[in-house]
Amino acid sequence: MTFRRRLVDWSLAGLLILVPAMVLRSSLKTGNHTVLDDAILRVSAPLESAVSWLVEGVGGIWSRYVGLVGVESENRELRADNERLRKELAAAQRRAVDTDALADLLELKRRSPADAIAARVIAASTTPQFRTIRIRIDRGQGEVAAGMPVITSAGLVGKILDAYGDHADVMLINDPDSKVNVVIPSAGRGGTLIGEGADNGYHGKIELERPLDASGKGVVREGDLVVTSGAGGAFPAGIVVGTVASVTVKSYRMVQEIEVEPAVDLGALRAVMVLLAAPPAPDPDAEHKRKSEPAFGTRPL
Amino acid sequence: MRTSSHVLVAYLVLLVVASVWRLLPLVPHAAAPDVGGLVAAYLGLTARGRIAPAVAGAVMVGYLADLLGGAPTGLHAVVGGLVCILGHLVHRRILVRGLTMTLAFSAFVGAAAAVAVVIISELADRGLALGSTGRSVLQIALGTGAIGPTVFWLHRRVDAAFARTHRERDAALEGITS
Repeated sequence: MTFRRRLVDWSLAGLLILVPAMVLRSSLKTGNHTVLDDAILRVSAPLESAVSWLVEGVGGIWSRYVGLVGVESENRELRADNERLRKELAAAQRRAVDTDALADLLELKRRSPADAIAARVIAASTTPQFRTIRIRIDRGQGEVAAGMPVITSAGLVGKILDAYGDHADVMLINDPDSKVNVVIPSAGRGGTLIGEGADNGYHGKIELERPLDASGKGVVREGDLVVTSGAGGAFPAGIVVGTVASVTVKSYRMVQEIEVEPAVDLGALRAVMVLLAAPPAPDPDAEHKRKSEPAFGTRPL
Repeated sequence: MRTSSHVLVAYLVLLVVASVWRLLPLVPHAAAPDVGGLVAAYLGLTARGRIAPAVAGAVMVGYLADLLGGAPTGLHAVVGGLVCILGHLVHRRILVRGLTMTLAFSAFVGAAAAVAVVIISELADRGLALGSTGRSVLQIALGTGAIGPTVFWLHRRVDAAFARTHRERDAALEGITS
């Protein structure tokens, strides 16, 4: 190969790396998918869903088959009697595995006044620096949009990053870009929790308004519950985020840095709920009894 | 055509890894093997005269890895391009043959790609914990090393399918690069 051709070849290679570098710069700024990205994801998401379903099914059959063989060898004499019960049990367990997560969500939906929609997790991020999951929305295609909160019965999961068709990407709350306004009700203090990219756990920083007094009011302690504050409007108030795992008080006693252990096991998500709209605000006059005005007859002056 | 086939095979492997890795027991779910980096290194190692088509393939695989892996678009594409060039630069100095060498080379590629991702993430001001990052790099290296022989075997089969002579076919299956 001549020097000129080699120069052209390497220049082209350099250019080919420069293009995705510019795309990366743009995607880090905007975070939105392009039309091409959406098209590829629309094709890939059902395939991922199918692979996930296939592997979960094969795994379930394998584990149940091995279990059945073991029990059979130990209970040879009672096989005939036990066979029917064992089959029923296996079927029930299979159904339970599939429906546990969804039943949990149904219960959550029943309890929650917010407008919500269920979704199944079909894939998870493969890069530790970016904690996202991909979900398949069961119904309501087109209703889910970026920014909507995602929860389970245990607590907050994250928010929708991007939605395409009946699939969406969710930024988990342990992603380094995730910021959640929270409050610790027992201490009466609030702040912003920032994901630290660790497998489990967030990093939080709470700035106190004044030095701590002798009564210890406003002190955050290990085990304190952390919930969303509702500030900023990104998440409705009162969703459980986790519990305080550790507290570091700075020497000048103006700042407490807290580590929060998540309420949700973010590594074992199977089904989630997307909040389409915040729950309606409580009626301020709910406590007061109101007398209906007479619909008929004469009204006294 | 050859590069497109490699990209297609890599896409299918990426699909499987993205869907299945989270379901596997006893593996760190947050640190999956870097399939994009492996394929990029393979394309670099086997790039015959010109490097540009191999880099194009590596960038394409990286782009797909970004989409399927939930990373910002372009991150693994850049890393893939760089790993491909690294593979091409070392292809005359090392011979990736045999299980042990493939395992070791794959683990090295996984670690190199993970470090590159960390550096780019730091440049993007992701603010990651250093201890957590070090552990992730190690886990990715081990995971990539574990699946490296399978991925290389698959891509050698692709190269063998495109061989023009029996000699080329045997060389491709053996992992001998010229």
